[in-house]
Amino acid sequence: MVDLALKTLLHDRLRFVITVSGVAFAVTLVFVQAGLFAGILGNASVTIRNLDADLWVTPKNTANVDFANSFPESYLNRVRSVPGVARADNLIVYFMFMTLPSGARETVEVYAMEDFRRWGFPWRVLEGDLDDLKRGPYAFMDDSAVRRFGPFAVGDYREVQSTRLRIVGRTSDALSFTTTPLMFMDYGLAQRMNADLLQGRTSYTVVRLAPGSDLEAVRREIRRRLPYNDVHSRAEWVAHSERYWIDSTGIGLNMVLTVFLGILVGVVVVTQTLYTSTMEHLREYGTVKAIGGGNADIYRIIGKQALIAAVLGYAIGAVMAWGTGRLVAQAGLRMELSTTMLAVVFAGAVLLCLAAALVSFHKVARIDPAMVFRV
Amino acid sequence: MNVLEAVDIHKTFQEGRERVEVLRGISLAVGRGEVVALEGRSGSGKTTFLSIAGCILSPSGGRFAIAGQAVDPANPAGLAAVRRRAIGFVFQQFNLFPALTACENVEFALNVKGRRDRSARREAEAMLDAVGLADRRDFLPRDLSGGQKQRVAIARALAGGPPLILADEPTANLDSQVGEQILGLFRSLAKRDDRGLLIVTHDPKVRAIADRVVRIEDGCIVNGG
Repeated sequence: MVDLALKTLLHDRLRFVITVSGVAFAVTLVFVQAGLFAGILGNASVTIRNLDADLWVTPKNTANVDFANSFPESYLNRVRSVPGVARADNLIVYFMFMTLPSGARETVEVYAMEDFRRWGFPWRVLEGDLDDLKRGPYAFMDDSAVRRFGPFAVGDYREVQSTRLRIVGRTSDALSFTTTPLMFMDYGLAQRMNADLLQGRTSYTVVRLAPGSDLEAVRREIRRRLPYNDVHSRAEWVAHSERYWIDSTGIGLNMVLTVFLGILVGVVVVTQTLYTSTMEHLREYGTVKAIGGGNADIYRIIGKQALIAAVLGYAIGAVMAWGTGRLVAQAGLRMELSTTMLAVVFAGAVLLCLAAALVSFHKVARIDPAMVFRV
Repeated sequence: MNVLEAVDIHKTFQEGRERVEVLRGISLAVGRGEVVALEGRSGSGKTTFLSIAGCILSPSGGRFAIAGQAVDPANPAGLAAVRRRAIGFVFQQFNLFPALTACENVEFALNVKGRRDRSARREAEAMLDAVGLADRRDFLPRDLSGGQKQRVAIARALAGGPPLILADEPTANLDSQVGEQILGLFRSLAKRDDRGLLIVTHDPKVRAIADRVVRIEDGCIVNGG
């Protein structure tokens, strides 16, 4: 069977390239913008997602995981005694000052627990043994700190809150929306280093449920016992922390606007090139009708052309976005392209190209086949 | 049996506030294997009649039948079906698809007629052989001469075996010698397969190959109907 749609596309190579470029540009823009948004937003909740807890007990009205108030650490006992709780531990999240070898002062975000290993946290250890953290003034630092603090290695010393700490391990992918590098240390050490504010206090209590226990029932009971705290499931706490940054920074609106502009540019380019192509091939479409074809035959031709442009443009756009992702990674930015996003953008590209073809459909529906007799 | 039988065909166009009666009761029949030339000055209504006979335009009045079947002008889907089944067109401007090769042009017409298997390709090749373009099958229209393009158009019109072939000034864009060759070929192929051939023309050469010449003036047949 002769594929008039494809043959015509390939015959008008320049227009085909312009159409596909329009789609590819729009797809790249959407991927990069949405991917960066997801990446940056992912930083706001990456620690919550990777700490193996079902419930987070937080101070009342805590805005996000980075900005926690504190509450008495003894509340932990009330949580541990709730039926259905398999394990509960305190977690301190606290900003501290680090003095760099250059003399500069920077902040680090400290995560402190008694036993990290039990919580599978930090989740990507590059070097070092987490058990070492219990043995003295030691800390693990995330590799992302290199960009801000300069190179470091296991065995180096750093001064944090006027305490000399030895770096005994390195992690990766532990990030914060604030871009402050993350450091991991023993719970007691963190309290000693900030005795005035943290002595006897914690930022969170993280809870793992016993197998088969009812999350809502456990949560209700913790709330009853700790009426001045909030209790979030992991998913809720992720959403809560992310929503804070979306609402307070406007990155959500920025992302939506850029994605909208990308889509607009894509639709305009595809609509215009398809419509121009349709106008130039009007006589051919008239011939299709004259030899017995109907509007549906011509819709199929134009629709297929739009579809080919969508699929090809999408593929090129996805590759370009992937390349851009690698490029921005070198600048310390993370671009997340999830399979859901890939699927949604593909469906969007196809739908938008078909929508762009509708303008041409409208024109074709009005073709008078008698035009084939006109000179 | 007649492949075209038109009785008392009228066609009126509304141009602004004015009603223009282009056809005023034309009756014309074309038999199997018959070659009819339809002559007339510009604006006489011959192309309008061709459009109605080709089920492209609906008449304002009258009735007509193609290959023995009455045509209902009020049913657009039915008109398209008649075009697919029973009519082949040859246009003055050739109207070939520039992105398709000669063979694909013919094959595509068969695809539109519902033939989508390999037999369409085989028939397209056979039709091109019949019009003497076996060695030009894979040429794009831009690489063909005017005469060769019209041969492809004839092959396309004949493909699928429609009993009625309608041609609109098929020699207008060809030089005299090529025009004669094309007309000769056209006639012989129509006769060979017993098809009716209606040619709208200004070209006196068409008279030479026509079995009958019909003259139309101001929307009426004045001679040969």
